[in-house]
Amino acid sequence: MNQNRLPLYAMPLIVFGAALLQSTVATRLAIRGVKPDMVLIIVVIGTLIYGGRAGLVWAFLGGIGLDLFSGGPLGISSLGLLLAALVAGVGHRILSRYHILVPIGASGLGTLLYGCVYVGLLSLLHEAGQMPLFQGLGLPNYQLAFWAMLQDVIIPATIYNMTIVLFLTPLLNRVPEIQEVV
Amino acid sequence: MIRNTERRPRTLGDIGIRFVILTLAALLLMALQFTGQLQVLRSAISFVTAPAQLSATSATRTVTDAIQFLLELGSLRRRLNELEQINAALLAENFSLREVEHENAEMRSLLQFAQTRPGLELRGAQIVARVIGQESTNFLDYIEIDLGARHNIAVGMPVVTEQGLVGRISEVNDATSKVLLITDPSSAVNAILQNSRLNGVIRGAPNGDLLMDFIPQGPVFRVGEVVLTSGIGIRFPKGIPIGQVIERRQRDIDIFQQAVVRPSIDFSSLELVAIVTNFDPLEDVPALMIEPTAVPTATSDPNAPANATSGEASSDETAPPSVPGTDEGSAGETATDATLVATPPATSGVTTP
Repeated sequence: MNQNRLPLYAMPLIVFGAALLQSTVATRLAIRGVKPDMVLIIVVIGTLIYGGRAGLVWAFLGGIGLDLFSGGPLGISSLGLLLAALVAGVGHRILSRYHILVPIGASGLGTLLYGCVYVGLLSLLHEAGQMPLFQGLGLPNYQLAFWAMLQDVIIPATIYNMTIVLFLTPLLNRVPEIQEVV
Repeated sequence: MIRNTERRPRTLGDIGIRFVILTLAALLLMALQFTGQLQVLRSAISFVTAPAQLSATSATRTVTDAIQFLLELGSLRRRLNELEQINAALLAENFSLREVEHENAEMRSLLQFAQTRPGLELRGAQIVARVIGQESTNFLDYIEIDLGARHNIAVGMPVVTEQGLVGRISEVNDATSKVLLITDPSSAVNAILQNSRLNGVIRGAPNGDLLMDFIPQGPVFRVGEVVLTSGIGIRFPKGIPIGQVIERRQRDIDIFQQAVVRPSIDFSSLELVAIVTNFDPLEDVPALMIEPTAVPTATSDPNAPANATSGEASSDETAPPSVPGTDEGSAGETATDATLVATPPATSGVTTP
């Protein structure tokens, strides 16, 4: 078995473990209530190394792991992380991930997309739950103010994640380029 | 060397197809959860993951405590002196409070309230649970505890610590439960300012503070006032501390005043919580991930005024199941006592048998 691909096969376990740590350790790393998104960072970095196809699967599994340890609906984190992986996949295919702006930009854009999708979908579910058509379907009623969440949570989390990736970039650059894998 | 250029377009297509398939799978999971069909699966997974979560939480706590101890070693002596002084002051205050308590008891007996418990009597009806996990995302505020349906935990039960109100049970699995914290923006708690007796609704703000809204214009309240649960709506027992006012927001053009409240609990370091099992919440709870077997109660009124104030879900599916009895078998009696004390005058007819 190719040594470079060993982490690839362990990745589902790694993202699930990261989701577990996200619900236990990440709280201790919170700055002004904002935690680092460990799963998202791992998915973005993994996608930059191994490509978008594998990254999408990890994003899906990582999202399920996150939602199992969250009060949110199952699958919603996957939707956000899938978009983040898609963006990072561009960094793998078209841009050189060795440029410092690529991993930082991918993690920043990924966090923004993940946060906007998460909060946007919950807001959408809340709005849908108010409509007579959807009443009685048991839609969850999360009341999140989108712009306030963007200002107070999503943007600070974006800066936090980008800073972490900035420090991880030297380590990331030591991993050799690996062709797109399944 | 000839490069195989035909592979690239096909890969792009693969990514697109994979993205669509996984997106649809995620949406399907959400839909299945809303219809309650994943409850068994979630219970099974949480049964497996709860020990790992508990271990990780304990390990994290140990490491954090060790680091904290090392960092604070220099200031410990100074803090010890300060705490000794505070202890002496509290002892003196405690003695005077005992006198007040004694006097209070005499007055109660004079007023023929001998059977009424002084303050909130929650002992004997609470179950202490360990916090095994915190919310994994930045957008919501939940904790996970190591008690579930097999311990007679039900959706809607209030969760407290000795410092104040934590939240309420929002999802019950077989062995674990999730607690919606009062700091979550979706949470709404009817509250009262202790000194000025002004009512309002406490909501979580995205930055982790609490915001007390719907305080009537006119009366003045002060920074530093203690905020307690008001008991209105019968969602939480009356008189549980929530926090302290740190900022007053008043503008003449607004209909209501607001207060920024600092919670009395440090939610990031919660370890043990108590679930109040002898309190029967009459109001609806949010339709999050409630078990499909939850029995709607006759008291759930979709058009209840208090519900409109809090803005929470009001469909029949959201009604909490009736609260099961405690191990001591005295749930009925204690529930009556606790509710009798917790009930404000406007709703007292609901509780007194």
